[in-house]
Amino acid sequence: MKRITALGLLCAAALATAGPPDLRRAGRIEGDAAAGAAKVAVCVACHGPEGNSVVPAFPALAGQRAAYLYQSLAGFQRRADPASPMTAQVKDLSDADLRNIAAYFASRPRTPAAPATAAGSGEGARLFREGDSARGIPPCQGCHGAVAGGHPLAGTAPRYDYYPALAAQHSDYLIARLGHYRDGRIADTSNAQIMRGVAHNLDDAAIRALAEWLAATPR
Amino acid sequence: MPRTCIPVRAPLTLALLLALPAAQADSGVGVDSWRGNKLDPSAGAASATTDARGMSWLRPDLRRSPGGHLYVCPAESPQMQPIGEWEYAGRVQLGYLITFGDDANGHWNRYVKWDSGLILGLLEIALRRPEDGSYADIRASRISDDDAFFQAAFGRAGSYKVEAFLRELPNVVSGDARSIWSGVGGNDLRLIGGLQPGRSSSAEVAAAAAAAPRRSLEVVRSKTGLGLDLYLTPQWSGYARLSEDRRRGARPFGGAFFYNFVFAQNAGVLETPRPVADSTINMNLGLRYAGSAWRLDFGYDGSFYRDRYTRFDFDNPFRIAPSQPGASAPPVERGQFATEPDNDYHNLRASLTRRLPLDGEFSLSAAAGRLRQDDDLIAPVNCQGLFGIDQDGSGQPGPANRFLYACADWNTPAALSRRSADLQIDTLLLDSRFTLQPLQRLHLRGGLRFNREDYRNTYLAYNPLTGDYGYIAENAAPGSILGGQTGIWNPFAARSILTRVRSIPLDQQEIAAHLGADWRLSERNSLGATYTFTRDEPSNRERRRIDDDSLKIAWSNRAWERLTLRASYTWLQRGGDAYDYRLYAPAYSSSLPGFVAPFGGLPAPVVEAMRKYDLSDRREHKVDLIASYALREDMTLSANLRGDFNNYAAQIGRQAYDTGGISLQWDWQPGPDTQAGAYFGYDRSRLVMANVNEEVFGPDPRLGGETFPDTARWWAYDKQRNRSAGANLVQRLGRVKLDAAWNLIDSRGITSFRFNSPLALAYFEDGAAALQGAFSPLRYRVDSLTLGFSLALTPRHSLRLFDYYERGRLQDWHYQGLQAGSVIDHRVYTDAGPQSYTANLIGLLLDIRL
Repeated sequence: MKRITALGLLCAAALATAGPPDLRRAGRIEGDAAAGAAKVAVCVACHGPEGNSVVPAFPALAGQRAAYLYQSLAGFQRRADPASPMTAQVKDLSDADLRNIAAYFASRPRTPAAPATAAGSGEGARLFREGDSARGIPPCQGCHGAVAGGHPLAGTAPRYDYYPALAAQHSDYLIARLGHYRDGRIADTSNAQIMRGVAHNLDDAAIRALAEWLAATPR
Repeated sequence: MPRTCIPVRAPLTLALLLALPAAQADSGVGVDSWRGNKLDPSAGAASATTDARGMSWLRPDLRRSPGGHLYVCPAESPQMQPIGEWEYAGRVQLGYLITFGDDANGHWNRYVKWDSGLILGLLEIALRRPEDGSYADIRASRISDDDAFFQAAFGRAGSYKVEAFLRELPNVVSGDARSIWSGVGGNDLRLIGGLQPGRSSSAEVAAAAAAAPRRSLEVVRSKTGLGLDLYLTPQWSGYARLSEDRRRGARPFGGAFFYNFVFAQNAGVLETPRPVADSTINMNLGLRYAGSAWRLDFGYDGSFYRDRYTRFDFDNPFRIAPSQPGASAPPVERGQFATEPDNDYHNLRASLTRRLPLDGEFSLSAAAGRLRQDDDLIAPVNCQGLFGIDQDGSGQPGPANRFLYACADWNTPAALSRRSADLQIDTLLLDSRFTLQPLQRLHLRGGLRFNREDYRNTYLAYNPLTGDYGYIAENAAPGSILGGQTGIWNPFAARSILTRVRSIPLDQQEIAAHLGADWRLSERNSLGATYTFTRDEPSNRERRRIDDDSLKIAWSNRAWERLTLRASYTWLQRGGDAYDYRLYAPAYSSSLPGFVAPFGGLPAPVVEAMRKYDLSDRREHKVDLIASYALREDMTLSANLRGDFNNYAAQIGRQAYDTGGISLQWDWQPGPDTQAGAYFGYDRSRLVMANVNEEVFGPDPRLGGETFPDTARWWAYDKQRNRSAGANLVQRLGRVKLDAAWNLIDSRGITSFRFNSPLALAYFEDGAAALQGAFSPLRYRVDSLTLGFSLALTPRHSLRLFDYYERGRLQDWHYQGLQAGSVIDHRVYTDAGPQSYTANLIGLLLDIRL
């Protein structure tokens, strides 16, 4: 068993140096939330106090999965896209800083600005729970959980911690994000490869229905 | 980057595995769903780069089948290039092959016929239109004159698919043949070298055969086909297939003119090159419904066989002479055969499946078929003038010269009781099955099947021109050697001749039932048992009822972390009603009114103790043990141990048939650049036969009696041993890829015998003492070695240089002595038999991504 684990670690190391991360083999992310709190002064300017963003275009970070937050921050560092406002914010942060910041936001409770009013039915709820086999749309809950709080198997293996919670996220942000997946503009992780296929058959109306239902769903 | 792929073990295995996606894409109906060739059975798939990303983005580990074997890694997706609304990817592989060594050897060229020259290894073009899922694919290859394929398909995902293909495949059936006839490949063989039909001596024929050029005998298959799939709704789909399989060429066949070992200077045996020129059209139509509660399947299958020739005629070089000193016979100058009859086959079927409570399912299927042939019958003989024995030297047939016949009475279809076959077989199949899961851990299954075949019409061999009954044997040769052996019975002139006079319809009916259960003892541990009863009721076999009872117990265990174990044991007992060794009497002249038993009584048709192996009481024990062990995440060791032991309750006939074997297989893929595997297999078989020689033509059917005395008993033992082994390695080093593979097949078979006395032997009264109780071993050993070197010149161009070496060591005692000459007494051997060989194939292939 140890040899298999060693092989897995070796593979993970190889992955780390060979292009976009393969999150199937990524390790567990742990950080010091208290240390992270000391590093988020700039972050909360846009993402809100404790990561509870009030600006719809900026994602809420509070209560998000730490592993997801970490790999997102590491992605900004790795891509170093000059057009992204995040590039300058992360370029001087160490890997430990990224882990600590991720741990901090993950530990904060999500407190939406407006009261949650998730509808129990409707197109968004139907697509999330059942998908639409006739249109080639799988149900989202398979990977994001029945209440959109993250992968149902989160905590059982590190790879499941990289699936984000979607409930109570800003609908504008979700609409933009899903659109990017659909149009193939995000493909920098193995999980992004999954989302490319998932979002491929989503039209604008479906994306909007999903995003609005998720935004109104309490976490 | 770690890789989740498994190694290539053998080209054929890989081809079969890679064929799966194609088979799944089709409806699985019809023939030729995959086209490759011997140079690359996978048609390019084997050389495709495997996808380093593995099988799924959802999980990283290697995937294994329920049996514990690693799944094959998918190939890397083609890099599609945009052209307007479409995307395309293409590949062409061009090259040059050189063969040398014993490269004319028939075995080396089996199913390929290698030739030096330019080849198109593969042309592959794929077009996709992401907007609506439209696609078009073309694949083609040509590696020799008769070895090529082309296939094209287009359609739209979820809507329709149209496919067409052409395929030519050579088969060299003899690489060393000498024909004493001209016209090989046609249906009229004429003697060459100045040989005279019916008048040539053995020496003259031997000289003509020795002077005949060496040649190969080949059959080329050409297949063409069209297919259409329609996806009408998500539940309803339909398909239609139409294909034609044409064969052209010649293969070694026969041509008997009675027993030449007994009558060395009177009878003759020829190995003729018979023509192969036929066509089979296959048609499949179907409509399917797959709903949540019901599944329906309606289909029609048709097959239509047409032979270019109705008959096949050939010159006989030898003088067929009476054994009686002083008697004379007109020469038998020609031989003849009817070719396989044109026939039509239709089958209609319907299947309904309904989901049941308790996670169950019930299905009911019905099928009805008809096989019909009404080919023109050929005349009993093809001679002119007279045939038979001229006993009184008058040259006049008649009561006083009763074994001499006028050809005009027999060489015309008017000599037949019917001008065409007018035969038909109707089939009916009813099948029902169910599965249920009454408990969480218990599955039940059962079924009932009824199958029936009815022969319509029989043929009575009666000549209305003469009033004779029976079939003239071997174009009248036996009747030209021994008086009364012509094969015909006459109520006035030949009242005691025992001969076959009618066909035997083989109607049969089968009822089978099975009931089984699978009990899941724990999460990964299950036990199953199945009882099966089969009753076979043939109408015209020695038994009217044959019953099989069998019980199979199976155990599957995956409870141990790395081990998957499957074991099964089957017990079978066969019995039935009384065995009637005289069953075929109605097909003989003895059943006709006016037949008079010969002096001494009607000969026993066969020893009463004889039991045919498919009707005999039998007890079978069969065991199977399959284990696979994951040595590491990327490595598997699997083993299979099997045995099948059959005992037959037969004093005469097959007495035992036992087989057993073991195979081991090791697969390893430590990373994307290395693949390796090895296998070894060993199996043995033993077949025991007992028989008795017919000492005199007498009525006593008892074993140990006057006709079949114990002193005439003999036994034969056929032992077979097969070994197979192989190893392969693929290693990538940057732009270079090296591959090596070695494969061995080694088979050895020995037939030994013993007998109570020389009375047991038909020929060679000393029992061929030099053999010392056993024939020489039959040996088939083929080693092959492949070494390849590939270099990626650019991202779009790569070069492959390979060498394929094959060595065959073949021994077949049936052909011993033919090196000294292919004509012995009045026997002509056209095919010299399998020859050992060593041959090599070197290829240089340029692969271009379009």
